[in-house]
Amino acid sequence: MISRALCVLGALSLLVAGEAQAQPAPPQPVLPPPYAGAYQPQGVDEIGLWREMDEDERVLAQSDLAIRDEALTGYVRKVLCDTVGADRCGAVRIYVLRQPEFNASMAPNGTMQVFTGLLLRVKSEAELGAVLGHEFGHFEARHSLGQLKAWRSGTDVLAWAFVLGSLAPSYNVARSYRNLELSVLGNLYRFGRDQERDADRLGIGYLNGSALRPQAASEVWQKLMGEYEASARAKGLKKPRFDRIAFTASHPPQAERAGYLAELARPDAATRDDGAERYRAALAPWLGMFLDDQIKLNDFGASEYLLQALAQGGWTAQLHHARGELYRMRGAPRDLVNAAQFYADAVALDPAHAEANRGLGLSLLKTGQAGAGQAALRRYLELKPDASDARLIGMMIPAGEPQP
Amino acid sequence: MIRPLFHLSAALALTSLLLAPVSAQAHKLRERGAPVAVADTPLTVTPSRDWNRLDVRLGKNTEHWTVDGEQLNDVIFFAAIEPGKPLVRERSKKREPLPKFTAATLLVEVPELLETTWRTYKHSGSFQMTGIEPGRFLGADGVHFTYEFVDQDELPRRGEARAAIIAGKLYMISFEAPRLHYFAAGVEDFRKLADSARLP
Repeated sequence: MISRALCVLGALSLLVAGEAQAQPAPPQPVLPPPYAGAYQPQGVDEIGLWREMDEDERVLAQSDLAIRDEALTGYVRKVLCDTVGADRCGAVRIYVLRQPEFNASMAPNGTMQVFTGLLLRVKSEAELGAVLGHEFGHFEARHSLGQLKAWRSGTDVLAWAFVLGSLAPSYNVARSYRNLELSVLGNLYRFGRDQERDADRLGIGYLNGSALRPQAASEVWQKLMGEYEASARAKGLKKPRFDRIAFTASHPPQAERAGYLAELARPDAATRDDGAERYRAALAPWLGMFLDDQIKLNDFGASEYLLQALAQGGWTAQLHHARGELYRMRGAPRDLVNAAQFYADAVALDPAHAEANRGLGLSLLKTGQAGAGQAALRRYLELKPDASDARLIGMMIPAGEPQP
Repeated sequence: MIRPLFHLSAALALTSLLLAPVSAQAHKLRERGAPVAVADTPLTVTPSRDWNRLDVRLGKNTEHWTVDGEQLNDVIFFAAIEPGKPLVRERSKKREPLPKFTAATLLVEVPELLETTWRTYKHSGSFQMTGIEPGRFLGADGVHFTYEFVDQDELPRRGEARAAIIAGKLYMISFEAPRLHYFAAGVEDFRKLADSARLP
C-alpha cells in the first residue's frame, strides 16, 4: 500500500513537472486584445476575474483617497495615451490615489491606480510613461488571468499530493511533499517575476515607439535605488541590496530592471524630449500637497533625497519651506537651526509665503530667539488671519507690542 | 484574485483561535460615575457612561477605550508622555521610527505630532487638521483640535483631541470615529469624559 501510494505521488509530481516544463503555454484560440473596442471577457475564468475587479472598482470610485480632479487625471491619461498610443489607452480608467508611496497598479478589467507618491517621484512625462506603460503591459498581456490559472493549478497539485501522501504517512513521503511544495511555490513566484519582466519589456516597447525618451525608464529605477539608499543611511541601516531575489519576491530586483531597461531603450532615441517642462507645469498645483504628505511620513533620508532631486532645477520658496518642515519635525537642536535658515531662504524668495513665516517663527522661538520668532509669527497672522491655528499662534505673541 | 494557500489560512485560523479567548477576557468595564486611573498614571477620569477599556495597548503610557469597538469609537489616552518618547510604541525603532515628543515641542506643534504619528503608524494617506484652538485641559492651558483622516480601511474618520503639556510631560486624549453616524453619536460622551479628567 505504502509503496503504491508513493508511486502515485511520484508519478503525479513527475507528470506535473513534465507538463510545466514541456508546455508552458497551451494553445489557445486567438482572442481580441482586451483594449479593443468594448471588449468583453471570454471564458469562465476571465469573466469571473473581471466581475471581481468590477466590484473592487466600484469601491475604488467611491474611495476618499481618490483625487477627483479632472485636470490631473486628464493629464495622467494624456501621458498614458502618448506612451501606449491613442488606440489602446481608451480602455483604461485612471484613478489617482492619495498614497505617498511609490507605486501604481493595474487590474485586468482596465482599472489603473496611480499613487501620488509616484507622481512626486518621477520628473518627466517619459518617466511617468515608463511606469504607466509597464502597468498597461500587464493589462494587454492578461497577466492577472495567467497568474490566477497558475496559482490554481499549482495549489491543486499540492492539495492532491497532500491527500495522496497522507494515504502513506512515512518520513520519505513527508519529505517528498515538502520538496514538491517548495518547488511548486518557488515556480509560482518565479512565474510572477517573469510576468513583471514581460511587462517591463512591453512598457519599454511602447516608450520606444512613442515620441518620449525611453532611457527614462531605467532612470526611474536608478533614482528609486538612490532614495532607498538615502533612507537606509539616515536610519543607520545596512546598505540595501538591489540584486538579490528573495524566494517570495513578487518583482525582479531593482538593479536588474534598471539594467535591462537601459539596454532595451532605443539608442537613437536618447535625444528625444522627455516632457520634463510640461510635467512640472502640470504638477505645479499639486506639488505642495504631495511634498507635505511625503515629509510627514517621517522618513528623513528619503524626503531629503527627493527634495534634492526636485531642486536640481533650482530651489524655490516651496522647496525651501518643505525642507524647513522636514528639519523642524525631526527637531534635534541642530535641525532647528537649519530649519530656521531654510524657512528664511523661503521667505527671502517669497515674503508672502505664510506657512514659511509660521515655520520660521516657531523654529526661532525654539532656538531661543523669541523677538525675531514673534515677529515672524506676527507676519504669518497678517498674511493668513483665518489660519486654523490663528488663535493659538496669537497667544504666543505678547499683546500690545508695536507692529513691525 | 489570488487564492490563498490552504496552509497559510489554516495557520492563521489556528493563531486566531489561540489568541481570541485570551484577549476577550482581559477587557475591562469602566463603570459610570466611578473614578478610575488611566494607564497606571495619576491621571484619573470619571466616566459619564459605561465604557470598555480594551486590553490592546499602543504603548506604555496609552490606554484605549471604546463603546462599540475601536473601529467605531476609539478614545485614546496618552498619559505623561516623556520628552524623547514617541506617542505610541514603535513597531521597529530602526526601520519605522516615529516622531518624538521633545522638551522643545510647542503646544501648537502637538496636533502636528499626532498627525505625523498617525500618518506613519496607520499609513494614513489623507489627513487634515480642521481646527486648532486654545483651550483648557487638566486645569492647564492646552490645545483643542479636530481633524479628518482616511487610513488603510479607507473609511473616512473624524477626530477630536485635547492636549496639554504639564511639568514637561504631554497629556492628550483623542476620540476617533467614522464620519458617518459614529462621530456625532459619540463625541458628547467623549467631551464629558475629557472634562472629567483630573491630575492630582
